[in-house]
Amino acid sequence: MNEARKTMTLERSLTREPWVARRGVPLALQAAQYAVLIVLALIMLVPFVWTVSTSFKEQSGLATATPQFIPDPASLDAYRTLSDRMDIPRLIFNSFFVTVVGTAGQVIFAAMAAYAFSRMVWRGRDTVFLLYLATLMIPVQVIIIPQFILIRHLGWVNTYQGLIIPSLFNAFGVFLLRQSFLTLPRDLEEAAFIDGANRFTVFWRVVLPLSKPALATLTVFNFMALWNAYLWPLFVARKAEVMTLPVALANLAGSSRYQGSVEWNVVMAGAVITILPILIAYLFAQKWFVRGVTFSGIKG
Amino acid sequence: MSRKFFALGIVVALVMGLVPVTSFAQDTVTIRYFNFTSSPDHLDDLAEIVAAFEAEHPNIKIETSDAPYGDYPTVLQADFAGGDPPDVFELEYQTFVNYAANDVLLDLTEYLDPDTPYYPRALDVFNYEGKQLALPETFSTVVLFYNKDLFDQAGLDYPTDDWTMEDARQAGLAITALGDNVWGIKAPITFWEFYKRAAQNDCQFFNEDKTESTINAPECVETVETMVGMLADDVMADDVEQAAEVSGDDKDFFLTGRVGMLVSGIWMFPLFEPAEFEWDIVVDLGMAHKGSAFFSNGVAIAKSTEHPEEAAAWAQFLTASETAARVRIENSWELPALDKPEYFEAYLAQTPPANRQAVFDSLNAVATLPVIERQTEMQDLIDDLLSAVVSGDLDAQSALDIAKEEIDALLS
Amino acid sequence: MAGNRGITKWGWVAFFLAPSLLGLIVFILGPVVYSLRLTLYDWNLLSDAKFIGLDNFRELYHDAAFWTAFEHTLTFIVLYIPSVLVLAFLTALLLDQPLRGRAWFRTAFFVPVVTSWVAVAVIWKWVFNPAYGLVNYFLSLVGIEGPAWLINPDTALYAIIITSVWKDLGFITVMFLAGLQGIPENYYEAAKIDGANRWQRLRRITVPLLTPTTFFALIISLINSFQVFEQAWLMPERFARRGASVIVGEIVDNAFRYNRMGYAATMSWVLFAVIFTITLVQFRFQNRWVHYDL
Repeated sequence: MNEARKTMTLERSLTREPWVARRGVPLALQAAQYAVLIVLALIMLVPFVWTVSTSFKEQSGLATATPQFIPDPASLDAYRTLSDRMDIPRLIFNSFFVTVVGTAGQVIFAAMAAYAFSRMVWRGRDTVFLLYLATLMIPVQVIIIPQFILIRHLGWVNTYQGLIIPSLFNAFGVFLLRQSFLTLPRDLEEAAFIDGANRFTVFWRVVLPLSKPALATLTVFNFMALWNAYLWPLFVARKAEVMTLPVALANLAGSSRYQGSVEWNVVMAGAVITILPILIAYLFAQKWFVRGVTFSGIKG
Repeated sequence: MSRKFFALGIVVALVMGLVPVTSFAQDTVTIRYFNFTSSPDHLDDLAEIVAAFEAEHPNIKIETSDAPYGDYPTVLQADFAGGDPPDVFELEYQTFVNYAANDVLLDLTEYLDPDTPYYPRALDVFNYEGKQLALPETFSTVVLFYNKDLFDQAGLDYPTDDWTMEDARQAGLAITALGDNVWGIKAPITFWEFYKRAAQNDCQFFNEDKTESTINAPECVETVETMVGMLADDVMADDVEQAAEVSGDDKDFFLTGRVGMLVSGIWMFPLFEPAEFEWDIVVDLGMAHKGSAFFSNGVAIAKSTEHPEEAAAWAQFLTASETAARVRIENSWELPALDKPEYFEAYLAQTPPANRQAVFDSLNAVATLPVIERQTEMQDLIDDLLSAVVSGDLDAQSALDIAKEEIDALLS
Repeated sequence: MAGNRGITKWGWVAFFLAPSLLGLIVFILGPVVYSLRLTLYDWNLLSDAKFIGLDNFRELYHDAAFWTAFEHTLTFIVLYIPSVLVLAFLTALLLDQPLRGRAWFRTAFFVPVVTSWVAVAVIWKWVFNPAYGLVNYFLSLVGIEGPAWLINPDTALYAIIITSVWKDLGFITVMFLAGLQGIPENYYEAAKIDGANRWQRLRRITVPLLTPTTFFALIISLINSFQVFEQAWLMPERFARRGASVIVGEIVDNAFRYNRMGYAATMSWVLFAVIFTITLVQFRFQNRWVHYDL
């Protein structure tokens, strides 16, 4: 691509319009695309539908040889049992608090570190980045006991900080954001520096806004990981004041003590309660996935 | 924006964590009790027992916490590793040996009131090298469930307490013949069944001083062959067939009338209540002689506890008081390991099954669980080898030869 | 560039990196180093750890169960990663189109990702049921008698792979979508002006500019699939478990059920060495195929 086109591309890449890209696609192709998507979406959703429908069944209606999608009879038994046995509002609050604070912290720390790894040149940079990556390669199950001992020595068992702080430093986010930052055109940052901005301003006002898709992605992933976290809260949050949803629900499913008697409708009701907030969060994050980032105020 | 929120969040979190837990009056002692049996169905029952205890001991407060059965051992061990174990906690028998061997349990001999009416056998189970390292909390056993309607249809006499595996097999043949979706018996082929049948058949897992395994002796091979032999002639459904009928669950299998006999635990009684057919129980099947499973949960105290007297008082109340026994029995929350027939009258009166007496008759002949320090590994390897025999990859003798080698390695 | 030299530069590096790095050192690296030390010990969590030198490594070398699990894990990787990457790429292309109801489709693909493995395992056990399951039903329509999937040790692993692709598809698709949206529209417009057709645009613009994302997806998938665990733990029927044992399953068994933390740590570090080496190789080779811009 020659220089002129590159400049044009650069300028206009900032004012991309969504949804116009592929007009003029033949109708047959569009229909085929829809068909494939609908089939795939159904495959993705059928198990979830079964989960929801099971949560509305009665205990005795669970053992059927062929799976039933419509509960007959339908009942709120499972949800009633759940609310009897667990302090659901408190659990949801705890899960929300830990997840939101943890996600915010994770994303901020990861973004800052990713910036240092992608847009700054310093000795030892790649080695330290490799160190970050390396921490992803040890199975969590084997470092969880030393982590627990550390938390205990800090006196953080059964506290919010014990739940949140150790999970703030995850290399996954750093890796994802670094990759994203690396693809950004440097010219914008250079322009900002010339205008007199310092590094933080450039980070905050140029790099971050341009990385919205990646940031949104990371936010959703972190939200999901923290919301569903089980092993760490199992060790660290045993008291009702700080316990999170997944641990409480596992206690419930623990009625399968002797493998004989899992109350599937209750387990599924718990699953539904756990899945809904994340889906809602994802639907909101969808807005951020809109193509195109309008950036005002920079001249070519 | 998100930064402000984040900062606020951190501040809130730190503040909440730093606020000290409300302090108690000077002379109140708090005992932490960690367990797995109360969750999720019996939290109220445990609370009732705690309340009764606290009423009798106003200066002691019991703080309970629980974890799901599957994760319980892990969490308990993490607590020990972290240097801050609970004061009082439950232990299954097979994990008890590990804790006892590692010298982390308080010797309860001096705290034990000698008049407490524990089943002597149950007390022995938690006696390690002469020290009473835990108190028996509950016991349960495995019995033979049978579907009366199916037996009637096949024109058979109901099983009795004397039945052997062979008797069951004969009856099973007749029941299987009743139709395509009916089988004679479900007797699982797992470690938990094998150790019991082995004991019934005079098969020893180890030699006298547990330095070597003798699990490949002829009696043991015969045991495995008898167990696997139930699959022959379709007397017992294999996993694929069972999965095709219902969710693969033993409970559903019996409840939907697919099987004439089921070897399972007495904890299943409430779960089989909705059955639409008549059913009852007898003592578990035997081989050369009888020997029922005897499972027991114990309550132990951490050696490092700061309040041994109070902890021991709670442990004894939980395991042997009349209040605790009554609460357990009334709520079908396992059976206390107490030698007090009058407590069990209420239990015996409940139906189904009618023949609850069989539960206690089972205690007349008990199969001892072979336990070594590396217990879980032994159980896992036996399970794997048994499944290889079932799938036909190995014959019984070869499987047990391999078992012997691997267990010898565990013992060294 | 401002602040690009000397102390100011290191000041900035510290500013951006310190929170993350310090936390990583205290809460992750510390425990990681601890676990490395554990490989030389025998520790059952209840008593003090006993120093045993390299005995754990010697034992691991001869541990047939571990190497079988290793083999299963490799099979999983070889079949799972290409499948999920290719399918996710195609799905992302589809979902990037200006179709009506796009957001709902995208959410549909994300639902399996957020569903816990407990629920997924239960549901797919039914899907793979030999007599009544959907999979064997569809196979029978084509005249094939489906195997006993999760009940037969020989086929359990394949059922797990299929389920894993299903569950993770949305995860990787979202990554590719983010990458696709990072490609400036005008590259395509310029190419159209030049007369390139869809296929050429795909080959010459989309695929190359997506390589950073592909690289990321590949690395993350590799790191994660070497550590595959939950599905192999939850899905197979009892008798089929030995056919689907995986490395982390062995680690969990040893750490949490057999009380052999030292041995479990040893396994983890051997696994780490494998993952690290492979990742390093990927990073060295990335210059050959990863384009950060055209």
